[in-house]
Amino acid sequence: MKDPLSFDHRPDLVLGKALREALDPGDAPVFIARVLAHAEHVRVASWDVVLARWARTGVAAALVVALAAGYFVGRATAASPRPTVSDVLIAPPAHPAEVEVVLASVIGNN
Amino acid sequence: MADPQPPQPVARIAQQDEPDLVARAVAGERAAFGILVERYAGVARRVARAVLGNAEDADDAAQDAMLSALVKLDQYDARRPFGPWLLRIVANAATDRRRRRSVRRVEPLDVGLTAGGPRPDTTAERRALNQRLREALAELPERRRLAVVLFDVEGYSHGEIAAILGIPEGTVRSEVFHARRRLRVLLADWKEEA
Repeated sequence: MKDPLSFDHRPDLVLGKALREALDPGDAPVFIARVLAHAEHVRVASWDVVLARWARTGVAAALVVALAAGYFVGRATAASPRPTVSDVLIAPPAHPAEVEVVLASVIGNN
Repeated sequence: MADPQPPQPVARIAQQDEPDLVARAVAGERAAFGILVERYAGVARRVARAVLGNAEDADDAAQDAMLSALVKLDQYDARRPFGPWLLRIVANAATDRRRRRSVRRVEPLDVGLTAGGPRPDTTAERRALNQRLREALAELPERRRLAVVLFDVEGYSHGEIAAILGIPEGTVRSEVFHARRRLRVLLADWKEEA
């Protein structure tokens, strides 16, 4: 054992051995057998399990996105109803006749 | 006392085959997981006991941690050493269990015991020394306890302990220093006999 106040970067073998003895619980085979027996009931997160987990998450996310998209599309459609036939006939033309066309028509008539 | 044998820390004997063992365990080969359990059972139980004090609780925590590690094996980065990854899970499991435990089972430390006491010449005295050491360890802050056990008992480097505990390397050095200063007082008589 070293000077109690030294700052040593190497393991203290005496202290380490004493602590190891103090902390050693013994019965290692019993413990290992116990862990392995419980491990039989644990499902390892293999690649197919991970994929399945992601697949479930993906399906849930897709459902949410589809519902949200449907909602917004529905709102947009309701805000701007389709024009009726009479609306189209009564409405002024989108592009008024240009001056050149009107003049040519008048001159042509004369 | 005879010269102490160098410890056989898991960190030093870690095998190069661990990424392969992990891959096989993930693929469902329980024998591969069994090898890992055998290799790390000792250190996992000691680390858990350093946190919890009580041997039964420590074994429960170590078992929970190993089963948790089995479930999370796909998250293990094979480029890094397996031991620190597992011990981080062990330390967390033990800490969680200690927080949940409503009654602290470790008796408070008798301050007089840390001042030395009779030399442990016999088995009974050695058992008493072990008990005193556990009590002295229990008096330390948890992080300090883990740092000194991982460094002096298990042989992990300061950097590896920093990774396990999630603290800076300089803090690990400080924790080991303070823990040693406390525990060495207890072992002073033993040192003279050795």
